[in-house]
Amino acid sequence: MKGLIKYGMILGTICLISAGLLACVNLLTKERILAQINNEETASLKEIFPDAVSFSPVKQKDTILYYLAEDSHKNILGAAFKAHGKGYSSVIETMAGVTPDGTITAIKVLNQNETPGLGSRICEVEADTTIFEAMKGKAKQTTPKKPWFQEQFCNKNIDNFDSIEAITGATISSRAVITSVQKRAKEVLEMIKHNQ
Amino acid sequence: MTEKQQNRCFQEFIKGIIRENPTFVLALGLCPTLAVSTSVSNAIGMGAASTFVLIGSNLIVSLIKKQIPEEIRIPCYIVIIATFVTVVELIMKAYSPALNRALGIYVPLIVVNCIVLGRAEAFASKRTFVHSFMDALGMGIGFTLALMIISIIREFFGFGKIINYPVSYNFHPALVIGMPAGALLVIGLLLGFFNLIKQKK
Repeated sequence: MKGLIKYGMILGTICLISAGLLACVNLLTKERILAQINNEETASLKEIFPDAVSFSPVKQKDTILYYLAEDSHKNILGAAFKAHGKGYSSVIETMAGVTPDGTITAIKVLNQNETPGLGSRICEVEADTTIFEAMKGKAKQTTPKKPWFQEQFCNKNIDNFDSIEAITGATISSRAVITSVQKRAKEVLEMIKHNQ
Repeated sequence: MTEKQQNRCFQEFIKGIIRENPTFVLALGLCPTLAVSTSVSNAIGMGAASTFVLIGSNLIVSLIKKQIPEEIRIPCYIVIIATFVTVVELIMKAYSPALNRALGIYVPLIVVNCIVLGRAEAFASKRTFVHSFMDALGMGIGFTLALMIISIIREFFGFGKIINYPVSYNFHPALVIGMPAGALLVIGLLLGFFNLIKQKK
């Protein structure tokens, strides 16, 4: 019995010290982590609506439903939203932009954990430099390309996704992106109509 | 420090890299090895995170080994290891969110990585502070090197790439090497290779 209390005390002390240390680290990194998340969010919004100047979040209670993108003349360019689709091994989170007439401006996969080499190719960028060229210093200085799968969504009407080619060997991941974006885009358009 | 002591320290450091390499000789921590050795950048990130946790936990365990009673040593080690893992995860989230996303669940899983617990139990709980540090550093570097060797092979044969650059436009890789099954194949062959070298000696 005496041993039990002693053991509890020792383990408790170790836990207390650990908790204190973690609290300090959390305090030090909390702001930076939040800033990183915000940075990524604004960067992906900018990628989807490059011409927009301001993005105003439309909220329901505390959850952001979508962002209204406006240019410098306060014209509404469209809405940016996040779509979630169940892929093969993870939930794929995609940011997409839709204009009021139902055209997708661009999409960007934010989070995915699909099988490397198959499903993860939804984020694959077509390479234009081989290792030998890079070593010789002949790396082509082209502007960074967008992933070819996501590029297919640009300027497509949401009712016309049939022409988007799925990735070989990754039908589930491809379909997850396509259907989740389509479904969420329709919901967002409906919401916009409702609010006006 | 006498020359003999220095030599001993160096021995504790160097043994983790080849003679007692955690992956190829001790065959510890194979689960994260299978999962994250798909690309060299992941391997380096995972190796660095594990090395940090190893050094931290080995140092603390060797410092307070006299205070920890035999019967509750495992929960004590787990708490210490989990603390360092959480520190790594927070730092990674703050300074390298892309790497954190690529490694995903395998960062928190370092807590149950047998290399870390194994070194705390088998080495740091019996040896001095300095030796424990050298051991952790050696083991960490050994683990990182092993991950890098596996990921270089898998990235080349599985995805046709070397450090994210494609080898050739016309090279069609064997996708199975990039899958977990391929990781087992590669690790198995490398283990055999290392055993062969050991036998020759």
